[in-house]
Amino acid sequence: MRVATDVGGTFTDLVYYDQGTGRFGATKSDTTPPNLERGVLDTIEKAGLDASTVEYFAHGSTVVINALTERKGVKTGLITTKGFRDVLEIGRGNRPDLFNFYFRKPKPFVPRHLRTGVTERIDHRGRELMPLKVEDLESAVDQLRDAGVEAVAICFLHAYANPVHEEQAVEIVRRRWPQAAVLASHQITREWREYERTSTTVLSAYIHPIANGYLDALERELRAKGVGSPLYIMQSNGGVATMKAARANPIAAVESGPVSGVLGAIVLGGIIGESNIITLDIGGTTAKCSLVEAGRPRVTTEYRIEWTRTNPGYPIKTPVIDIVEIGNGGGSIAWLDEAGSLHVGPQSAGAVPGPAAYGRGGTQPTTTDANLVTGRIDPEYFLGGEIVPDMDNVRTALKALADRMERPIEDLARGIIRIANANMGNALKLVSLNRGYDPREFTLVAFGGGGAMHATALAQDLGITKVIVPTNPAVFSAWGMLLTDLRRDYLRTRVTRLDDTDPAEVVRHYAELERAARDEFGVDGIDADRLVFERYADMRYVGQEHTVKVRLPNSDGLDSVEVGTQRFHDAHQREYSYRLDSAIELVNYHLAALGLVSKPELIPLGRTGKGVETAIRGRRSVDFDTGGVHMTTIYERAGLEPEMTLQGPAIVEEPATTIVVLPEQQLRVDEYGNLHIELDQR
Amino acid sequence: MRGMATTAVDPFTIEIIKNSLVAAGDEMFYALQRTSKSTIIYETLDYGVGITDQQGRLVAQGNGVPLFIGTLDAAVNAVRDKFGATLQRDDIIITNDPYGGGGTHLSDVSLVMPVYHNGELMAYVANKAHWTEVGGKDPGSWTTDSTEVFQEGLQFPNVKLFSRGEPDQSLLDLIAANVRLPDMTLGDLWAGVAALRVGERRFLGLCDKYGPTAVRTAIESLLDHGETMARQELARLPKGTFEAEDMIDDDGIGNGPFPVRVKVTISADEFVADFTGSNLQVPGPINNTRTGLVSGVRAVFKALTNPEIPANGGAFRPVRVVCPDGTVFTAQRPAPVSTYWETMLYATDLIWKALAPHIPERLPAGHFLSVCGTILAGQHPDSKELFLLVEPLVGGWGAGHDKDGDNGQFCVGDGETYNIPIEVTETRYGVLVDQYEFHTEDGGAGEFRGGKGVILDYRIVSDEAYLTGTFGRHRFKPWGMNGGQAGSNNYILVMRKEGSREQPVGKVARRRLERGDVARLVTGTGGGFGDPRRRPREKVLADVHDGYITSEQARRDYGIELT
Repeated sequence: MRVATDVGGTFTDLVYYDQGTGRFGATKSDTTPPNLERGVLDTIEKAGLDASTVEYFAHGSTVVINALTERKGVKTGLITTKGFRDVLEIGRGNRPDLFNFYFRKPKPFVPRHLRTGVTERIDHRGRELMPLKVEDLESAVDQLRDAGVEAVAICFLHAYANPVHEEQAVEIVRRRWPQAAVLASHQITREWREYERTSTTVLSAYIHPIANGYLDALERELRAKGVGSPLYIMQSNGGVATMKAARANPIAAVESGPVSGVLGAIVLGGIIGESNIITLDIGGTTAKCSLVEAGRPRVTTEYRIEWTRTNPGYPIKTPVIDIVEIGNGGGSIAWLDEAGSLHVGPQSAGAVPGPAAYGRGGTQPTTTDANLVTGRIDPEYFLGGEIVPDMDNVRTALKALADRMERPIEDLARGIIRIANANMGNALKLVSLNRGYDPREFTLVAFGGGGAMHATALAQDLGITKVIVPTNPAVFSAWGMLLTDLRRDYLRTRVTRLDDTDPAEVVRHYAELERAARDEFGVDGIDADRLVFERYADMRYVGQEHTVKVRLPNSDGLDSVEVGTQRFHDAHQREYSYRLDSAIELVNYHLAALGLVSKPELIPLGRTGKGVETAIRGRRSVDFDTGGVHMTTIYERAGLEPEMTLQGPAIVEEPATTIVVLPEQQLRVDEYGNLHIELDQR
Repeated sequence: MRGMATTAVDPFTIEIIKNSLVAAGDEMFYALQRTSKSTIIYETLDYGVGITDQQGRLVAQGNGVPLFIGTLDAAVNAVRDKFGATLQRDDIIITNDPYGGGGTHLSDVSLVMPVYHNGELMAYVANKAHWTEVGGKDPGSWTTDSTEVFQEGLQFPNVKLFSRGEPDQSLLDLIAANVRLPDMTLGDLWAGVAALRVGERRFLGLCDKYGPTAVRTAIESLLDHGETMARQELARLPKGTFEAEDMIDDDGIGNGPFPVRVKVTISADEFVADFTGSNLQVPGPINNTRTGLVSGVRAVFKALTNPEIPANGGAFRPVRVVCPDGTVFTAQRPAPVSTYWETMLYATDLIWKALAPHIPERLPAGHFLSVCGTILAGQHPDSKELFLLVEPLVGGWGAGHDKDGDNGQFCVGDGETYNIPIEVTETRYGVLVDQYEFHTEDGGAGEFRGGKGVILDYRIVSDEAYLTGTFGRHRFKPWGMNGGQAGSNNYILVMRKEGSREQPVGKVARRRLERGDVARLVTGTGGGFGDPRRRPREKVLADVHDGYITSEQARRDYGIELT
């Protein structure tokens, strides 16, 4: 039995796969703050699983991101190079809210009196200019301890190039103050830029005790329950980590929730033979997109929390799958500005009061309400029939706006959906067109509660010819975790000019990283023969700042640099429309190390041979906007079997999702029950 | 959606096109940043990109700094005036004329390209960026002691750079021969071209998808929308006439100070900024020209009306700028204009100062105001190549009616501007940074305290290096509000390796430094808001504990004795 659990804001999902029977199962139960592990146990109970048969247990949670955004971490102190204690507060000095002269800069996570400089200095080549002054450090430790600090972050200048002073400092702090959580920057990131590294270290230290407390409790409870298998924790880079590795570096799980959907799409693509994928995950308040090329996600370290168009946010340089998220989901509110222009989102009605249809006090129309008015969502089967939508309230909410625009509410409903789609379409363009990828060469995988409702219209707009709606789209994120590998990303800044560097030297750096990976995975109990390496290089033309990531061949042959250079020229041209003759620099060496986990072969679903008409629930009038209003056949997803096909316009319903098939689109069910919607884009 | 082009234009489609135009501006912005070779572009984001309609009206703009807000449409209109209908698809015009044509100083170079859809002129795409090198008498091109524009670099008087997609190789060769870092300069040029092409592609995509009529309708609607939103906010502003005056320190070559003044008149339908009575243009390079003045006014108007919505030409229809020619705000050829921004910032700050007491929820007390720009030139000790460190510096912002000032932020002339990380500075340039921290110089006390300025020490590790810098407000401090104390000054201090300290100054040109010398750069603390004696005791104690103020300042300014 393989089990994956995913703790979300409202529900905790559990998905399992019984290797004996080839059967998948899913269940959910309420999330139980503050002791989230209880919700996990509840799902195991509810699913009726025999804990002793569990052979693989993967887990993702929002513990880290919640502790950060709710400011529920521990009191943290910072020890840094003398003369630089304000780096954390100055940040990059930027003011993205350009015309706001009443700007409020984000508050640092460590106040000034808990930031201390100590005498030491390493230069940019990693040479020691001044030794670490131990007395400085000891007095800093005493001062932080007396101030009631629980976690200590250490970040020295140029520690990415040479961490020796940080290593000494960690040693000394541990010896002098064994109770404190201590983290140094080089343990988390080896990239340059001191503010980003300091911020990363501080935020890591801030959540370290909280995350570890949670992981301890989870492990204890699972063991008590009788789960004897190894436990794996979902990471932001799209892989899992062993419990031990997760404890050492919990910030790596910061974005594990959103990325596990991308991971699911990659796993699914591997099974059904789709390697170029754009993911679309639409929830109540946001839509998230990501691009997967050749079965590989884009992993970057340019991640920031609370980063918006007006807020610089806080950087965390941990490897994260690159996801674009916009404030448009099912609960997004439609509104008119003072000049009468219609907008959708980013404000959301959330779960409370929720869309007007919930009848819980929501008076503003949302995307979900518009989908009800157009007949795309069945009022009889709203949220799987759990709620009877308050259609009067929906119409009242829309009418207020429609009257101001002097339009019928049906027009407004179409307009809301069209604008919401345009917003989501812009997000899809950000991950594809804006980076030089042609969306027509990708398959759109749609999940989350609202993904399948909007995906076909978006695909039509972008010229995408295929949309896939996986089985159980609402628990797709947890599903991906069932079938994933261990993953560690190693990034090292070492600026190397390729025109005057021996390629053997470049290869040697990767070999070093591979050695480090073998060592660390060895500690996890993963043998070298189960490791797969992928080499990436962040490269640029000399003089540029920003880099383009390219993949290098794994070969240790000297031509690998040559191949990488060629790929860089191509990628630069693809993304920015030109290439130069200039010399090229390799800035970051990036190694992705995958520890392969044995995975079951999925067993195709059976068929009874019945016809697709047996899945019909009924017919109703549905407004497809520019596609026209049609009397439309409604199907029940549970009644669909492999190899069935149906023709749009059609609606396929399942309890948590509505799948809209537009006119002239065809739907086919694959052998595992995933829906493939084909678009003829000519 | 297929078939859309033939249907009538509905209000929802209009919204979608409007949003897409704004998104296209953002995308051009991103393309330029990612491919540029100058720190002043990719970290300071000292550039702007934009789209105008075929009449040169600003439709969308992507900004890194707020004060490029008046320059792109001016550049497009200069191109229209000169070339009219003779431009072809894929032609690109280059211009940096400060006295007409949307220019500011020679370092800010504009590229403009017409956008044709099926042979019909639909729009222009444009960008303007601060190139690190455009030649001239000093490395980095801008300087603090030029006396005429001819010393300040190459002038591009509105000429064709590309004809039908083909670059003019003679012009490229000419540029390469006249600048110190041709690779960097041409890199910036290519980055600008890439951004234009991105903008053109997106704009044409919209025309293909929705049809040119719908796009034109959307543009009208977008401009009208900008105007409506601005007028609604204008109606909420206090009406009347508001005045302010201030002093500009000097012109870099020994003249000054210079009085400057504004009279702002806000009525139901107009926002007039009248700078009549300000000092005449000056011999040194701090002169600003009319394009910069319009930008300075537009920026503060936007801050007062709709800081959050994307800028377009319609939003500025209520704005009128009055100023005779030949003042320090409206200098005429061939006045030197290298450090024009120091004066442009005064235009913004004067209006700010005049209105702050009446609109305290949008305008805090005065901030350190200057970009505090430096150029450090020398030979890199590792590579032996010429390096040019060009950067602005963060400082203190003024306190507001309900908040302390922000510490260590870039001035209003910068925006989505990033400081250069110490680790990058030390790798790329021949310096070692000794400290980068807040200081506790006197100033900024108040019920709400002014934000802290910083102190940044560059120790030279190459054989020699040359420092040029312009730190405005080194004599006249950031202003306080409602009884709050004025802030502190910006200044540059050179400390020689043998221990001697030179006189602190506001401007230096090519000061020679040797190995071991330290260039200390200090930015001001912002003005305070309200009587310091009204600041709660626990806040004062916390400030002392945090080291934001000294115990002496707590006693003297706040009347709080530490026990």
